[in-house]
Amino acid sequence: MTDLATTAPGTEAAAPARPNPAGSAWLKWLARRLGLAVLTLWLCSVLVFFATAALGDPVRAILGKDYATSPERVATLTAQLKLDEPVITRYFQWLGGLFTGNLGESVANGLPVGSLVGDRIVNSAVLVLVSALVMIPIAFGIALVSANFRGKRTDSVIQIIMITLAGLPEFVVGILLVALFSTTVLHVLPAVTIAGGGAPPWSKPASMILPVATLVIAVAPYVARIVRSSLLEVLDSDYVELARLKGVPERVVLRKHALLNAIVPGIQVIALQLAWLAGGVVIVEYLFSYPGIGASLVDSVRNSDFPMVQVLAMTIAGVYVVVNLIADILSILFTPRARTAIAS
Amino acid sequence: MRQPPHSGYSRFQMTARPSRRDVLRFGMVAAAGLTGLTSLSACAAVPGKPDPNKPQVRGGSYSHGATGGGLKDTLDPHFPVTNPDIARCLQLYEPLLRWNANYEIEPSIAESITPSPDTTQWTIRLRDGVEFHHGKTVTAEDVMHTLAVVTDPKKTGSGGTELASILELNNSKIVDPRTILLQLNAPYAVIDQLLAEYTVGVIPTDFDVHKPVGTGPFAFRRFVPGQLSQFARYDNYWDGPAWVDELIIYDFADDAAKVNALLAGQVQSIDNLPNYLAGTIEQQGASPLVSESGAWVPFTMRVDVAPFSDVRVRQALRLVVDRQQMIDQALNGFGILGNDMYSPFDPAYARDLPQRVQDIDQARSLLAQAGHADLDVELVTSTAVGAGAVESANLFVEQARRAGITVRLNKADANVFYGDRYLSWNFAQDFWNTRNYLPQVATSSVKSGTYNETHWDDPAFNALIDRARREPDLARRNQLLHDAQEIEYHTGGYIIWGFKRQLDAYSNLVQGLQPHRYLPCSAFGFKHASFVTPPT
Repeated sequence: MTDLATTAPGTEAAAPARPNPAGSAWLKWLARRLGLAVLTLWLCSVLVFFATAALGDPVRAILGKDYATSPERVATLTAQLKLDEPVITRYFQWLGGLFTGNLGESVANGLPVGSLVGDRIVNSAVLVLVSALVMIPIAFGIALVSANFRGKRTDSVIQIIMITLAGLPEFVVGILLVALFSTTVLHVLPAVTIAGGGAPPWSKPASMILPVATLVIAVAPYVARIVRSSLLEVLDSDYVELARLKGVPERVVLRKHALLNAIVPGIQVIALQLAWLAGGVVIVEYLFSYPGIGASLVDSVRNSDFPMVQVLAMTIAGVYVVVNLIADILSILFTPRARTAIAS
Repeated sequence: MRQPPHSGYSRFQMTARPSRRDVLRFGMVAAAGLTGLTSLSACAAVPGKPDPNKPQVRGGSYSHGATGGGLKDTLDPHFPVTNPDIARCLQLYEPLLRWNANYEIEPSIAESITPSPDTTQWTIRLRDGVEFHHGKTVTAEDVMHTLAVVTDPKKTGSGGTELASILELNNSKIVDPRTILLQLNAPYAVIDQLLAEYTVGVIPTDFDVHKPVGTGPFAFRRFVPGQLSQFARYDNYWDGPAWVDELIIYDFADDAAKVNALLAGQVQSIDNLPNYLAGTIEQQGASPLVSESGAWVPFTMRVDVAPFSDVRVRQALRLVVDRQQMIDQALNGFGILGNDMYSPFDPAYARDLPQRVQDIDQARSLLAQAGHADLDVELVTSTAVGAGAVESANLFVEQARRAGITVRLNKADANVFYGDRYLSWNFAQDFWNTRNYLPQVATSSVKSGTYNETHWDDPAFNALIDRARREPDLARRNQLLHDAQEIEYHTGGYIIWGFKRQLDAYSNLVQGLQPHRYLPCSAFGFKHASFVTPPT
């Protein structure tokens, strides 16, 4: 940090061993960002642990109607969950477990948390990634068309549709899609994602269409609108005007000069939306009985199954941090000015 | 959706990478949507009700959508926790006796069970040649092992509490491989009712919960807690093998997803259809399955604290209830009138006592006599009590107001309601499933009862119950039980306004499920279900 701040031109002298001073500055920047990410995750772990440790009495939640009538089971469970140890000790044991992969056992059924959440996390990740891969080209395509027809009828129709869709909560979109394609109007697509014999959901691709479509519809309007407005900003700039004056065809102007510069705000909003998806997917999974983390998270909160809640909450926190980190790095890479600022 | 159809079309193309044929089909669907032909394609896809007289055929993979379930799911035959657990129990395991569709006991693995004259000894005779899924024949030894597991004092099974209090297993003996002599510590006339519960499924001595075997119509294949369980038809089933080849029970956390899966043909039946959907699914290729049940959601008044310790106050509160309105509004009409007595399917149920109806004047006069003309009480309710609870509590507030009674409603959180103060609320609610009279009394209406919410402990009542438990003669026993019910009818602490009707649903592509009083979805009797058209 110091050499960067004090003598910008002297970096070469300060690090003669390194052949590429820009690279070293990059590494430092990256290390700092990574350090911040780790710090964020650690703070999350403190919050998650202490919030869930105070989530209510798990023993009472497990036993329900039997809590009052069977004190011996209360005692057994308390010992099993080590609730008699101080909370600080339990926190460090848990944190250590996160690193060693020993995630503890589910309170609800005594199975290891790792084996319970593993498949589900993969299933949810696939759902989010597929949705993102479908959503990004659609959103950029819509934005391009919209910007191309700025102020014309096509643009205003698209904008009205986008604003309407953005205003609909994802469960409403999901219910409408199911009614339209599965139950009430047509009967062409599976209504829920249940694969026979517990095979992964993508083994029946048709059953993933509606959940993916719901997530795409929930997220695409935001991305499309942001990209469109940054495209318009770029299209009004001097250098685009100059390119046009030079005789570059409008298609090329749009694609080469404008789109690349509008990509950075796009990345940021995509990252935000992806991070939102990691948590927002809960409702969609519930609606489609998708075997992801959603139903498990809701179920675990209801059971006060805190080992499960903690791991799932940390997973979602991890997705937030990592996605934002990647978005920041990509933004820097796509912004020449920021790129040189770090390297110089 | 107001999106242009072509954008939807491109989205599907991108997600699923469909073949050319699929794309064409989507194209046709989009075209149909465009030209207003949707009604045509919908008609083609909605099957009508099957002909009930069509002979059943074998084959197919049957899927059932079970309500609830989650990470607490288990395959343990003696500790079912969630609703899908109960469904699984009924496929894998069988008790010695079983409840039929009319809630009467019939033989199952045991072909007979006969008491000694004083009912302290019971002889169980096992059916010949019943085999577990792994090929071992059921013997007296397996049954003794099962009873020992169920009544294990360290880990008493859900259906073992009452059994544990009367069975003397050490003094019981195996007479021959098919005969057992059970010794009880006191006369007990209705042990057959305890041995017919699904929580007392017979397991072999070498039982392993990770590879569970029983004698039921389906054998275990696969189990993922919170998601699904998979079974194969057991061809050697003693009572005739199932029609379908395979059974998958899916957990559904969400009612909407469950119903959608049924309407889209992904599952062939679901249990616990929300009442308000009974009418609409009939236009969409499915049929509701309505059964009577003895399940009840009573108001519970503690008979040992004021003002409820005054029997006139209890009777007044029973008289302010408009029972039909409660059924119509709290249960969407899916209920049977209650008369402040439980166990409506018991042969001893006191049908002759006049149906109690709303009588505001009588209620006012009773309250005036008791010195509570302007009664003010708190009623504790919670969504945790289940469907119909909060709704009926709200109605009760309204109905009681007409008699000048102020009822303050306290909507407690699940953890609070079933927390420390559960079983000591003065005036609250609870839920109960179908039980016959004596087993119900043992859990709810004697001092030692596990869930005696009303703190009911009436000496005359206790004496009658004690005599009835020992009385082997059915007619005399029923008379004793009738007298006991009469005491509760006139002075009890429950307000029992109705019994729920069980509502499930099945697709018109399958047949064979019949109403059943014991458990949802034909007592989860998927053995009886078959596809109307044999799947290829």
